Parts: sequence; C-alpha cells; structure tokens
Amino acid sequence: MKHITNILKPSLLAGLVAISASGIAQAEVAAQYKPYEGTTLVVNFPVFPHYNSTMKVIQQFTEETGINVEVDQLAYLKMRERQTLELTKAKGDYDLISYVVFSKADYVYADQLENLARYFMNPKLADPNFDAEDLIDGYVQNIGVAGGAKGYLPGPTGSLYGMPFGSETSALAYRADIFEKHGLKVPETLEEMVDIACKIPELEPGMGGLAMRAASGHHASHAFLLLLNPLGGSVFDDNWQPVINNAQGVAAANMLKKITDCGVDGAKTFGPSEAASGFSSGQYAMFLDSIGFAAGFQDPSKSQVVGKVQWAMHPKGVVAASQTGGFGIGIPKNAQHKEAAFLLLQWLTSKETDLKIAMEGGNPSRYSTYQDAGLNAKYPYSATFGEALKYANPDWRPIIPTWGKINADLGTTLSKILTEGLDPQEGLDGVAERAHAIMEEAGYYTWQ
Amino acid sequence: MFLAPAAAILAIALLYPIGYMIYASFLDWNPSQRIGEADWVGMRNYLKLLNDAAFWESTWVTVRFASIVVTLEMIFGVGLAMILDRNLRGMSILRTIFILPMMIAPIVVGLMWRYMYHPQVGIFNRTLKSLGFDTIPFLSESNWAFASVIIADIWQWTPFIFILSLAALQSLPQSAIEASRIDGASGWQQVLYIKLPLMLPVLIVTVLLRLIDAFKVLEVILVMTNGGPGLSTEVLALRISRTASEFRELGEAAAMSNALLFLLMLLTVIMFGYTKLQEKRAAKLRQAAQEEI
Repeated sequence: MKHITNILKPSLLAGLVAISASGIAQAEVAAQYKPYEGTTLVVNFPVFPHYNSTMKVIQQFTEETGINVEVDQLAYLKMRERQTLELTKAKGDYDLISYVVFSKADYVYADQLENLARYFMNPKLADPNFDAEDLIDGYVQNIGVAGGAKGYLPGPTGSLYGMPFGSETSALAYRADIFEKHGLKVPETLEEMVDIACKIPELEPGMGGLAMRAASGHHASHAFLLLLNPLGGSVFDDNWQPVINNAQGVAAANMLKKITDCGVDGAKTFGPSEAASGFSSGQYAMFLDSIGFAAGFQDPSKSQVVGKVQWAMHPKGVVAASQTGGFGIGIPKNAQHKEAAFLLLQWLTSKETDLKIAMEGGNPSRYSTYQDAGLNAKYPYSATFGEALKYANPDWRPIIPTWGKINADLGTTLSKILTEGLDPQEGLDGVAERAHAIMEEAGYYTWQ
Repeated sequence: MFLAPAAAILAIALLYPIGYMIYASFLDWNPSQRIGEADWVGMRNYLKLLNDAAFWESTWVTVRFASIVVTLEMIFGVGLAMILDRNLRGMSILRTIFILPMMIAPIVVGLMWRYMYHPQVGIFNRTLKSLGFDTIPFLSESNWAFASVIIADIWQWTPFIFILSLAALQSLPQSAIEASRIDGASGWQQVLYIKLPLMLPVLIVTVLLRLIDAFKVLEVILVMTNGGPGLSTEVLALRISRTASEFRELGEAAAMSNALLFLLMLLTVIMFGYTKLQEKRAAKLRQAAQEEI
C-alpha cells in the first residue's frame, strides 16, 4: 500500500480489500490459482473510460483466484512519467502496467517489458480456452507486437509484449435528430463530412459542425492523423523519409483548419475530453474521435444528447482507414509477481471478462464481444464499431522511439497553422525537415 | 573546523544536485536508462540548443513574459501600496484580502483562470455576450493567449510587490516626508521626489526577485494553455518539462535548465552587485556625515 499514491476511488479500494479478505475465507479458488493465493498485485491503470469500467469488475478476479489487486490509477498522459521511473528500478513496484500505444516502442526498445511467449507456453499458466484467434487482429498487431516490419509491426521477426486492453478505433458520432431535421445524409467521405460540418452553423445557429480535438501538441497531431490516413497519406515512406508535407498532408492540414473554423469558440484548443463534452452538451452535430467516448454519450448523468446520437464509420478518403490506438497491458521486466500478473492479464483479456467490461461501457478487444446479442441490445452502436474495426489501420502512426519528439513538433506546427495562419505547406515542410534530422540522428538512415 | 558541517551540508544539499544537472547536460540520456548507462556526448546538447528554433522561441516568450509581468506588477503593486498606506478603519482586512491571490496554489490559479476564460461558460465571454459584444478567443488565439496568461500572473503576483512596497513605505523616515510637506510639496511631488527615491533599494531587489520567479513560471501556464496555441505561451520551464517527459531527452533538458540557471545567475549577480553598491554608497554617506561632525 505504501507505493499507491493515487487511488481513483478510496471507497473502491476499501471494497477491494474487503472482498479480497472475505473471498479468500469463503470461496475455494481453482487449482491453477492456488500457488498464487494471497499474492497482492500492484497494477497501474489510466483514468480512462475503459479502465473505469474495469474497476467495476476487477474484484471478481480476487474472488475467483484469491489474488489481491491494488490499482494505482493515473491521468493517462502522466502515467508514462511514473512508469518510466518505475521501470528503471532494479525491483519494480508495478506487477502489471497499462501503456499507451506509443509507449510500446520505448518500453520494448529499453527491454522493460516481458516477452509473453514464455507465459503462453507454460501449461500451468496458459488457459487452453483463451482463444487468441478471437482477439481483434489490428489491435494485437498495433498494441502488442513489436520487432516485426518497421520494428513496431508484426512480421516473421515480431514477438508479443502486451495485450490490447482498452484499445480503440475511431468512428463518427452524429446527432440523428439534427440530421433528420435538415434532411442531411450521413457523411461517408471526408469531403462530405467537412461540407456538412460547415453547413451546420448556418442551419443551426450557435451549433458547431464537427467536434474534434485540436489543442497544440499531441492532440492536434492526433486529429491530423485521423484525416491523413484516409486521404492515403502517412508520416514516412517505406524508407523512413518524411512525406508528411506531400499533397495529402497539406490537404489534411487544410481540412483540419476548415473543421475548426466551422466549430464553436475555443474549438482550436479542444482536447478530446473538451470535444466530447462539447458534443455531449449539444453544442455540436458531429464528433470524430475514439469509440471509447460512446458509452458516455449514453449516460444521462453526463450527456444531454442521450438517445439522439448515432454512429457511422470513420469517413473515408481514397481509402477507409480508421485509427488504431488506445491502451494495452504488459508485465514489466522488473515486476515482482510476474506469473500472478500474467494470470491477471489473461483474466482481463479473456472472453468472459471482455464481455463483462464491455457491458459496463468498456471497449471490447474481441470479435465475439462485438457479436454478443446482449451487448448490441445495450449498446446498439456495437455492430457499427465491429464493422469499423475491419478498416482499422495498424500502421496508423509510426510507433518508434523518435515519434514523441516528431509528434510534439507536428502538433505545435499544426496549432500555428490553425491559430496563427501559418501556411500549411510551409509549416509541414518545416516539420519534414526537422523530422528528417531527428531520424538521421537516431540512425534510421544508417543502412541507406 | 566550525565551518565544516555547514560546508558539508552545502556540498551535499546544494552543489551535488547542481553538479548532477551539469553532468547530465553532457549526456545522451533517455529516461529509460540509468544515468550510468547514458552516453557522453560532450557539448552536443548545447550545440543542439543553439540551432533549436523552438528553444529560442520559448526563450523569447519567457523574456517577453517576464519583462511585461514584472513591469505591470511593479506599477500596480507600488500604486496600490501608495493608495493603501494610510490608517483607515478596516485597512488591515483590506490589506489581507489584497494578498490572498499569492497564497493560492498556482495549479488552482491556472484552473480558475482557465474556466473564467472558457469560450462558452467562462464569466468573461458570458458577460460580453450578455452585453451584446463578440466573444474573445482568450486561450485559442496566440496574442490573446499570451495576454491572458499575463493577466493571470499579474493577478497572482501583484500582491507580492504590494506587500514589499507597503513595508518599504511604512519604514520611510517620517521626517523627510514631513519636511517636504512643510516645504509645500504636493502629494505627487512627495511620491516622485521623496517616497520613490527612498524606496528604490527595496524596489530594485523586489524587481529582481520577481524577475527570477517570472523566468521560472510553469504551473499556471501549464494548466491554462499547456504552451499553446502553437508555441505562443510556451515558456522555458515548460519547454524543459516537455523535453524531459515528452521527448524523453534528459540531457537536452538538463542543458536547457543550465541555460536558464545561467540567465538567473546573471540576474542574481546584478541583484547582489546593486546591493553591494548601495551599501558602499551608504557607508560613504555615513563617513561623510561623521567627518562633518
């Protein structure tokens, strides 16, 4: 307990502790969990809708296994700082960590995450009914695998270091009532989406068209990538040469500017939460971002648009390409209870738990969960999300150690384009030039 | 021998961290590495800074920010002290209220102003709207964002200047003020020719203390704008923080910190130099007075 610095809900922790004590006393744990009974795992989760849903079911793990779990929940952008400190210690305090997708490269490169192969090979630990085939392929590739193509994608040399947990793709939420009122067609292409986004303020005075994150830094960069990928663009070509400043890049930057120009006041400084709250408070007709926000729009205590929201596929450009991102879970190399941590990882990503968390509003990591009738009855948009996942692009952004610096530069440059009138071509040319220098210094052109 | 414990504490508590930071600035150090695993790169981090446009932009933002806030805070702080330097009923309560802002945690100050500047629900824009005016993009337009963080800083730190100026005013020799009054000096003339010159030593030190603090400002800006839009409010302390945590370049962050430290040391040397000069001047005057006697 001494290492737990920020528990989201103290009452929840109290509940966990109480359940762990009574669970061990009353229920007989299954044989495979016996050797770990009484172990206490310390896990690090972000404060994020999927993990908040997880907190509602995690006590069942203790009841079934006799293994106690203490959760240290942190704001997701702060999580990495803490983990970086923890992972460099000889003996870490975390037994299981959740990591943002772009941390995968750093952690694997620094040899700080356990390769999961030896756990899945261990018959005493691996559940034969785990059904890994059922896991959403794009998520596993994006979040879990490293060492294959480009270093961060699957391939003959790749290996599994984490499991998708709280992974997400992107989709378009829209106000069905507003679209019906004005006879608008749900956009299927980015062009149609931008066109409607700028029509809405005329049709519904005071209402913005499309709520999207755009704040300086990571968020502006993320929004840009949501547009760049369907337009057929990318940050690098196959030889790691920056191509962000090509025609597709400029088109994506111009599109983002147009979207924010057609938004309400302050749209150019929105983070994802502000964009989502703008949509859920009825200020916007559309919202393009992670599917992780879907359950919140259905919650009457948080949303003023309950029952008015429908979801559509991420609009396409020259291709359909939605985001792959979000979180995965892995076992730190310096964890003190690695085998028990694997049992928790396996339990959290099992079919049963995936469905339980999804029913509480979390993001499924399995195809079977999206096909579940009960889930579709509770959250009718699940079928759309399942369909959207077919187009989720595992190479949506480069997951390489230098991405943090390039991402920040791209994000601040985009913010200058949005707010200071910097010419998109000029701005992106600068980003490409600086990205080239960063990549060169990191050795990406050594073999060229 | 008597100095040994103090010297040891100084070496451990003060010089060791600074030495560590200077050493780190010569390393290519990733936070995933222990310091011993980092590669020695000599002056590379400093040379990189020289060519880093974002670093220079942040330095320029910091210099502009510090100069503007300190100038305005001095004007308001000294002005308020002049106005409130009188014995009226309830004046002590009023003085306490004036110094409240500087007692609030900077994170809270940032959050408070961020919500007041909010484009839709913020008090400023709602008031403007209700009066029929256009709303102002307080935090989403570069110039406005810069002005907005300046306003928040002035709100928080003017009381600091006020307190020190008031203390200086109240310790002024009443004889000089009385003499000027008898000689027929107006209120303004008393301020310009008697009070301000006599307060000057305190005011100079106050300016330098505030300048040092303003150069290191972080939390309020981090919460209000996170350095945006673009890099328009990205002060040096924020750049250092991002370089360490976001870009994972601890060596570069250490080099930036040293650059900031050098700048602040320069200001401190000026402060000590000025104090020394004043002491010499006072000693000379005392000596001259004694010689006359």
